[in-house]
Amino acid sequence: MVSFGEVILLLLIIASSFLAVYFHSLLASIIALSAMSLVLALEFYILQAPDVAIAEAGIGAALVTAIFIMAMSSMRKERGK
Amino acid sequence: MSGWEHFFMVVGFSLVIFAVVSGWRLLWGPSAPDRVVALDTINTMVVAAMVVLGAAYDDVIYIDVAIVYAALSFIEVLFIAKYLEREV
Repeated sequence: MVSFGEVILLLLIIASSFLAVYFHSLLASIIALSAMSLVLALEFYILQAPDVAIAEAGIGAALVTAIFIMAMSSMRKERGK
Repeated sequence: MSGWEHFFMVVGFSLVIFAVVSGWRLLWGPSAPDRVVALDTINTMVVAAMVVLGAAYDDVIYIDVAIVYAALSFIEVLFIAKYLEREV
């Protein structure tokens, strides 16, 4: 039995991952990707898997965003030289 | 605790719907800081929804997810803000 909230969250995952591909600005893409991982963590949470949600929150929110931001800023620095 | 689960469930999913509404600014935000603030708002809404749904599921481990996510989303927005500060 799939509830109404789970359907909303799945539609949000699809929409934000589409936006991560669609945006031209790299920073906007990273923000959309982190919103996608946030909604995915909430989906794991609602499916009653809190340990998977903790792992997804840690990897998606902190690691991926931080590494992508660092990569983007060092890329800008390289291009500026 | 019996009788409150339905109420907490309704409140939690209303918070998710509010997060969807602030996703509008994430979609149409003209500049990057608008999108960052929208993401932070969605993070706060989702942490509140996690706590309320944890009360609805009547289990303590769901609150741990909300604590970890609150700390990590703060770090995430901090990173993006440092990047924007360097950029402007």
